Amino acid sequence: MFENGLLNLTNWAGNVIMPTLAGLFFAAAIYQFSKAHPYSHLSWAGFAALMCSGLLRALEAFAQQAGPNDPDRYWISILTLVNWVGNVMLPLYGVIQVVMMVLHSAGVLERMTIGDAWVRNLVAAMMCFGLSGLLRLAEFWIQNGTTGVR
Amino acid sequence: MTIPQLLNDLLQLLFDMAVPAAMCTMVLAGLALRQESGVNFEIGGRFQRWMLWSVILLTLPQFLSWFAAQGITLPPQGAGISGPWLRSMETSFTSFISDVVLAKLVPVLAAFFVLKAALDAAQGWSPLGSIVAAIFLLSISGSVRLMQGFNSGGEFATTDMLVSLWNYLAGTILPEAAGLAVVGAVINYSRKKPFMPLVFSALAFLSVTALWKLVQAMVG
Repeated sequence: MFENGLLNLTNWAGNVIMPTLAGLFFAAAIYQFSKAHPYSHLSWAGFAALMCSGLLRALEAFAQQAGPNDPDRYWISILTLVNWVGNVMLPLYGVIQVVMMVLHSAGVLERMTIGDAWVRNLVAAMMCFGLSGLLRLAEFWIQNGTTGVR
Repeated sequence: MTIPQLLNDLLQLLFDMAVPAAMCTMVLAGLALRQESGVNFEIGGRFQRWMLWSVILLTLPQFLSWFAAQGITLPPQGAGISGPWLRSMETSFTSFISDVVLAKLVPVLAAFFVLKAALDAAQGWSPLGSIVAAIFLLSISGSVRLMQGFNSGGEFATTDMLVSLWNYLAGTILPEAAGLAVVGAVINYSRKKPFMPLVFSALAFLSVTALWKLVQAMVG
């Protein structure tokens, strides 16, 4: 049946391929980090790749705020998305910004020494040697996160 | 005036060919789907036309019963073919569709679509269109059985089947497509390409019926 084929394709892409690609995204993020290039979108992509099912469940939850025949369903789903971004994601992002502020004011990766950014190279080397561990850590966070979602 | 037996047999042959012909039009619809990008279709395009023909062929007796209800005299259906020559032609044609087209040709076409998906990906294009078309082709038998299940049996069976197809798309296929849209959004984000259209599309896929009601409400 067409629906079974499409469902299996979606499951394969979202639950098999994307979590596998997450390792590649994290590896690319470490490489970018080691070169002092922007790396954040790759690390976020790695997390998102591990969370395809969860992101779909989130969108389904947004869409199910109104009944299937309610003309306002699409508007309410976008409104819920905006609320979620504004009231959940932005405060989390704000916490990350506070952490980054502390790190930057302490000079981590920028003013630890005069000359070479040796801390960046050290951290990049550590992450290169421990990518599997980092990936397991990210998976652990996401698996723990699912138990927290009600 | 009595209709000659040969003409009755020919008519019966054509009626009996409706379902195998619908299988053929579904194959052509699958090919047209890939030509029209695989994940979308053109309004008035070949995919839409072949799907419409599939629906008409699958509801042909009911479609003709509407004409009969308007007072137009139609020959009786389901009487069976009496001539052995025409009966053997029918058997041959049906066997050709099931044993050659569906069992051998369609899987090969789907395999070529998978090859096309790999080549598309090698060129940096999305392989999804070819994969969806391959899945469509491989599921033709099941899709025809599903569509036959949508046959309401009344004079308006053709339009009823189209309505059921719309409900099937909106309620079953598009929520699955929302999952693919999320995967596409993550991939686009990682490649620094626009990903918000896919997020909003996923929400729209999950709300198609509501959007239909919204448009109806706008019309008033």
